[in-house]
Amino acid sequence: MDYDIVVPSTADGALQVTMVSWIRKPGDSVDKGQDLAEASTEKITLYITAPVTGVVKSILVAEGEKANVDDVVGTMSDGGEG
Amino acid sequence: MPKAALKGGLRPFERILKTMQTQGNTTPPEKRKGLWLDLGIMPYKPAFEVQTALYAERMEGDLPTIVIVQENNPVFTIGRTGSRSNILLTEAELHKLGIEVIDVNRGGDVTFHTTGQIIVSPLVYLGDIDRNANQYFHQLEDVQISVLDRYGIKSHKKEGYPGAWCGEEKIGAVGIAVRHGYTCHGFSLNVNPDLYPFSLINPCGVSRMPVTSMKKMLGRDIPGQEVRETIREIIGDLLGFDFRTITLPHALDMLKNQDLSVPAQGFQKIES
Repeated sequence: MDYDIVVPSTADGALQVTMVSWIRKPGDSVDKGQDLAEASTEKITLYITAPVTGVVKSILVAEGEKANVDDVVGTMSDGGEG
Repeated sequence: MPKAALKGGLRPFERILKTMQTQGNTTPPEKRKGLWLDLGIMPYKPAFEVQTALYAERMEGDLPTIVIVQENNPVFTIGRTGSRSNILLTEAELHKLGIEVIDVNRGGDVTFHTTGQIIVSPLVYLGDIDRNANQYFHQLEDVQISVLDRYGIKSHKKEGYPGAWCGEEKIGAVGIAVRHGYTCHGFSLNVNPDLYPFSLINPCGVSRMPVTSMKKMLGRDIPGQEVRETIREIIGDLLGFDFRTITLPHALDMLKNQDLSVPAQGFQKIES
């Protein structure tokens, strides 16, 4: 089953973030809660973490590009069907 | 709801609350317990190692809220959106001045830390204080402004330029990181630092940005310990915490991961 990787909603909904770096790349295995990427506003660094244990499937917002809070910036798969 | 109630400006529950307040019928909300760790003066790297270790175990839920206070030996730090080009010195010049350069995981660009500048890093769970990252960030600016106000220094926020400002001069910086809703890093306040090295960088990526200090604003030295106590009181009030002081050895004892290179006795205590 696939899962969305989203910019965490701990930031103000109006905030736009810049994707600073993807710590994990497509094909990498990660445990739930581990860091996937760093996003940053002017003064706030937000860590985007894995929603499930599984494999990073795609990166939808590249390093240096902008995204909003709650935007889907990538996908993961837990290896199951669905 | 009757239009009159809205037109009057107060909804029914607001009227009840106001009545309770005017009758002195409310009790102040109970403050959460937190820990206050003062590292004194410490080089940036080991101080950051302490923060990182405490932060990791704070996120696991093993530790309560901790506020780390410190002053650092001279260091330029570059945040996650920063650039080395905002340090206007060569490696040789940096070496000669004895100033380190370190990349760090907070937001923001280049800043300078040194003795006489108090750095405050609350390791807070945003869910505990019912604020989002942006609200919390601006509340740290409020802490700075309130502390300065206690000393009769008028400061303000500046749209698009985070931190506390006295006119067009920056007196305090803010930069935080958030993971799983837990915060680290925080703010710095210029109490009595040597301001010259700020002229060797584009602070926070802004060229020719003037900086100031409490000493410069008041024309006299300010006891650092006194400012620390004021910061503690104001953070406690604004974020709703009652802090208990712990020492570095106590903090290191609390860690499951004891594999730190930090001497348990710390480096240098602040003389009040």
